[in-house]
Amino acid sequence: MKKNTDLTIKPFQNETECITIGDFTIENRLLHVSFFGSLDITKDKKGLENALILKGVLDSIVEDMERQELPDMIDQNYDQKTVPNPFIKTI
Amino acid sequence: MKKMLLLSIVSTISLYAAQTSCPQFYLDGEAPDILNKNMVQKTRELCYEAFGVMHSGITKTPLWSAEILLRENLEKKIPRKDVFHEESRLPRNERSELSDFVRSGYDRGHLTPSADAPTPSAQAETFTLANIVHQDHVLNAGVWSSIESATRYLAKKEGRLHVITGALFMGNRVKAIGNNVLVPSMIYKVIYSPKQQKAAVYVVDNAPSKNYKVISVSDLEKYAGIDFFPKMSETQKAEILDLPVPQEKH
Repeated sequence: MKKNTDLTIKPFQNETECITIGDFTIENRLLHVSFFGSLDITKDKKGLENALILKGVLDSIVEDMERQELPDMIDQNYDQKTVPNPFIKTI
Repeated sequence: MKKMLLLSIVSTISLYAAQTSCPQFYLDGEAPDILNKNMVQKTRELCYEAFGVMHSGITKTPLWSAEILLRENLEKKIPRKDVFHEESRLPRNERSELSDFVRSGYDRGHLTPSADAPTPSAQAETFTLANIVHQDHVLNAGVWSSIESATRYLAKKEGRLHVITGALFMGNRVKAIGNNVLVPSMIYKVIYSPKQQKAAVYVVDNAPSKNYKVISVSDLEKYAGIDFFPKMSETQKAEILDLPVPQEKH
């Protein structure tokens, strides 16, 4: 199987990039980067490869954030509206 | 339970008995029938390499995504990068866009998970927004991820599983995000084992919870407005396949 060489993201620049390492996922978003799932870094060559992928992503995030003025806390109030359920029968 | 009753009053006449264009992903080549006439509107089927989607232009979401899991396709995968993308095969006014997920507070939840896909190209296709719903983050990263992994574990044991993962929109009002992309109230995974000739369903609320339920296909059908296996007897639908307890690692 061909190796996927570009395992980096442009943090906070897009909502498209997603890196998967086994059951572990990194998703790039505009307002956050999401890390979820679990991953064992095994003490072998594969473990080192995985650790380097994580390090590359984290380094790029830190570098990007240190370059800018950050708020104390991001606004997490999201707009939420509701609409009538279109699947309910309206007789 | 009151919410569920509202949708249970649907006609039992099959309104969507049209032939499926993706028979390869369904038991005996038969796609589920949509019994709720409001749900049939603006539906489109999309076939991919390893899964088939029934998409709704009303909710701008998939209604379900179907796949067949085979033991031999579930080997460990190498690290990879994928790209969430809009589904260009759907009309603009019927689909979600990447911008509909920005500032939504929700994850982009796969119905057919990328880890189920047998090849890199099939994995890449699971990132189409036609296979994605607004999913609560705690759910997506928690019990839902464990349900997905439990399903693969069961597929390795059984050899072959038919899986239909879908979204339910319940109650009088539903949440809408971005350009009116609707947020599912519940998410389910119907699992059928041909070896045991039994099915069962994992069901969760689309909420920050660790709870899940295992129910029969027959019980799911009571409020889904969908006949999941048009050729299966009611007796068989009422039986419950023994599903593994979802855990982070299997």
